[in-house]
Amino acid sequence: MNSLAGMLTDRLSAAQVVDGIEAERWAVCGRIPQAVVFPESEEQVAEILSLSSEEGWQCIPGGKGGWLHGGQPPQGVDVVVSAERMNEISAYEPADMFIEAQAGAELEVLERRTLECSQWIALDPPGGERGTLGAMVAVGAAGPLEAGFGSPRDQVLGATLVTGDGRVLGLGGRVVKNVAGFDLLKLVTGSWGTLGMITSVTMRVHPVPATDRSLLFKGRDPAEAAALACRLAQAPLSLAAVELLVPGDAESGANASSPLVAVRILESVDGADEAERLVSERAGIEPFQRLEGEQSAAIFENVRAMEDGAELVLRLSLLPSRLPELVEMTSRLSGLYDPTEGWGMRLAGHAQTGVLRVMIAKMTHSTDGLDQARVVLGVLRRSLEAEGGSLVVSQGPPEIVGALGAWGDSGPVAPFNAGIRAAFDPASILAQGRLPQ
Amino acid sequence: MENILPEPLTKKLGDRLRGVVGDAWVIADADRLLAYESDGLTAYRKTPLAVVLPRDTDEVSRVMGILAEEDVPVVPRGAGTGLSGGALANGDAVIVGTARMTDMLELDPDNRLARVQPGMINADLTKAAEPYGLYYAPDPSSQSACTLGGNVAENSGGPHCLKYGVTSRYVTGLTVVTPEGKIIELGGFGREPGGYDLLGLFVGSEGCFGIATEIEVRLLPKPEGVKTLLAIFDRLGDAGAAVTEIMAEGLLPAALEIIDGPTIRAVEASVFAAGFPTDAEAALVIEFDGIEAGLASDVERAVVQCRAAGAREVRIADSEEERLALWRGRKKAFGAMGQIGNDLMVQDGTVPRSKLTEVLARISEIGVRHDLTIANVFHAGDGNLHPNLIFDRSDADELRRVELASTEIMAVCVEAGGTITGEHGVGLDKRRYMSLVHTPDELDAMRDVKAVFDPRGRMNPGKVLPDLPDSAGAAV
Repeated sequence: MNSLAGMLTDRLSAAQVVDGIEAERWAVCGRIPQAVVFPESEEQVAEILSLSSEEGWQCIPGGKGGWLHGGQPPQGVDVVVSAERMNEISAYEPADMFIEAQAGAELEVLERRTLECSQWIALDPPGGERGTLGAMVAVGAAGPLEAGFGSPRDQVLGATLVTGDGRVLGLGGRVVKNVAGFDLLKLVTGSWGTLGMITSVTMRVHPVPATDRSLLFKGRDPAEAAALACRLAQAPLSLAAVELLVPGDAESGANASSPLVAVRILESVDGADEAERLVSERAGIEPFQRLEGEQSAAIFENVRAMEDGAELVLRLSLLPSRLPELVEMTSRLSGLYDPTEGWGMRLAGHAQTGVLRVMIAKMTHSTDGLDQARVVLGVLRRSLEAEGGSLVVSQGPPEIVGALGAWGDSGPVAPFNAGIRAAFDPASILAQGRLPQ
Repeated sequence: MENILPEPLTKKLGDRLRGVVGDAWVIADADRLLAYESDGLTAYRKTPLAVVLPRDTDEVSRVMGILAEEDVPVVPRGAGTGLSGGALANGDAVIVGTARMTDMLELDPDNRLARVQPGMINADLTKAAEPYGLYYAPDPSSQSACTLGGNVAENSGGPHCLKYGVTSRYVTGLTVVTPEGKIIELGGFGREPGGYDLLGLFVGSEGCFGIATEIEVRLLPKPEGVKTLLAIFDRLGDAGAAVTEIMAEGLLPAALEIIDGPTIRAVEASVFAAGFPTDAEAALVIEFDGIEAGLASDVERAVVQCRAAGAREVRIADSEEERLALWRGRKKAFGAMGQIGNDLMVQDGTVPRSKLTEVLARISEIGVRHDLTIANVFHAGDGNLHPNLIFDRSDADELRRVELASTEIMAVCVEAGGTITGEHGVGLDKRRYMSLVHTPDELDAMRDVKAVFDPRGRMNPGKVLPDLPDSAGAAV
């Protein structure tokens, strides 16, 4: 056991610390931590972070480790602090429409519990149901349902945060309307572990709608499907999700997986029929498939899994009406991968928010290939930024993300970001470099 | 913060400010400053050093730069309808008002976006969006007077945020002038900037971090249909129970509002009379919106729940006229209170919905004990209470009892698992309750974050955060 792991073991117990070969699966953007520690309480998290502040150890807060490979590589990785063993549901009040759980609780467990009372957490971030509540909030991850229900920032009511120097802060509360002081909870949502470790979260829950229906429309090619998705996103009603789906190069073909638009309708029984009529009218064509209940949910579960096994994941953004342009821009990426490797390149576009996710199974890895990728992505980012958009490299080889940064420059707000970070993590031990300066 | 400029506005400062905005838009004479000595919470008054009314971002930036150089505190102000004293000019401050910044900068129906200046009235935005079948969802009761800039500062709610959420859900981007006069952009629809959600932090920061000079908001498609019901109860507790049952039924109304007996009688005696029966102890307004075809079954289920909870009468508004009359009765309730008393302390607290009945009973008991009339009109679906304490300012003892009762009501809300303000903000009035809901460490974290934006403490001084324990004298 290395000395760092030894010191942590002295503070906690041998059963709560792993190092060496067991730490390998907790690599953060390819870097293996010296130790992984599994606190079982808020107090233990505070103790670990205080000790790390004293020792100057670089800590990466995590859940079950599902997001550690993604995002911007940190400057150092000494300790991964996992919330895996803090996974209790501490309160669930169906009448008050909230559920409160420790950060390590799996989304799947929360889903099962709330379904018993015909409620659900209306979020469908990439990565599926095995992810933890804390991780979803820490990275601010959302999926197609963001259009209808908002992202974690809109649905997290409260959280407990242990700061870099071990202070325990209760943020927000259990009620939807709460303006008692500055909204520090917003800062923590999507902070990628740089402000502290989230130890518990209170989420808003929604009633399960009577009808879950998905309408699938086919497009001859990605451009046609993108134009259709835009048209449907502008339909005069509130839809839960409008998603453009373009299968990978190797996935289209025999099984008729051509580009499609999936519209999700979550309504009362009568409302769903009327919504379907309005959507079909707007589309000008009939859906080729109409899925109900579990099947409808299943197609959107598949959307959550689209990043699985991808080496490169990008998020391209412009205003929603420009989704077709984003789709067209992906042709610039054709030199970055070999379409015969794995499934090639997939696209998933949130038509109401203007985000196009690009997933590439396997990049061309020669030195030339990576150099070319850096140049192409850099140019693409600049042209999107010039149009008021953005390009996020949410996952990729360290040579790419390290050089480009997951996000663009923060510009004039950088000093504010730095000041906030220093207030929560005075010893600079938390996930340094994980967010742009 | 005291006596930075002992004289009323030096000539030098006045000239510099007039040089930016023009002579007409710097107000410094005592008579005209009277209009700015309080906001909607009239119990506190303080005359500002001056009021400056810039026209656009550039002028705000130059004004703020001058005030920074001269080290003068700044208080931003919209329409002054706030109810927590947030726009009060503490510490010999200059008020920077948005009254001339009322333009629609861009309306983009395809992307359901609008970019506006902060002085635009909330209701005017919906009016402008209507021809495109769109509207702006947050609708505070003061929406015909309050500004969008003020809504951003307070993270305002309104009756319809039960279903649609509060202001922070709709603000997608801001242009902000910092206390030093720098112009920064936060957020922006159609982009995913890295770094912290400074946009989310700014919304609801009560003018303590800077001034929003341009606001980008998301609009929603106007619902195809709306159905509004009125249920009448003989007991307030029964109306609370009906709310719990409606939500437990899995229904998500657009609004669920309760008006209690004293408020009903005030409304009916006023010009806003909506036809509520004056012998009732509670009226519950329920609204469903969405696809027309889906509304009938929702209404039916809600009617069943109301009757089961003991409603003596359930009416469904048959026409748009009837619907608007119901809402007028609700939204103008505060105005109607003038019928029963000279002065009004509008309280604002939130409790978990299932605790409504219990908390209402305790509030009523507090009123009896302090010999005060308390009229309740509130967003029941969100558990957001507005007990209105009626008093006469000239009666010192009554004023003292109002203060005592307010403190007790806040404590009851917090004890029930709620909080001290749901939508009116902390401002000046609620600083003293902040320690009921936040630990010293949490308050310090807020102070640290404020200092990041406003290291010299010049922005809206003496608001939101309580004074440090070792400094002298709280403000109230």
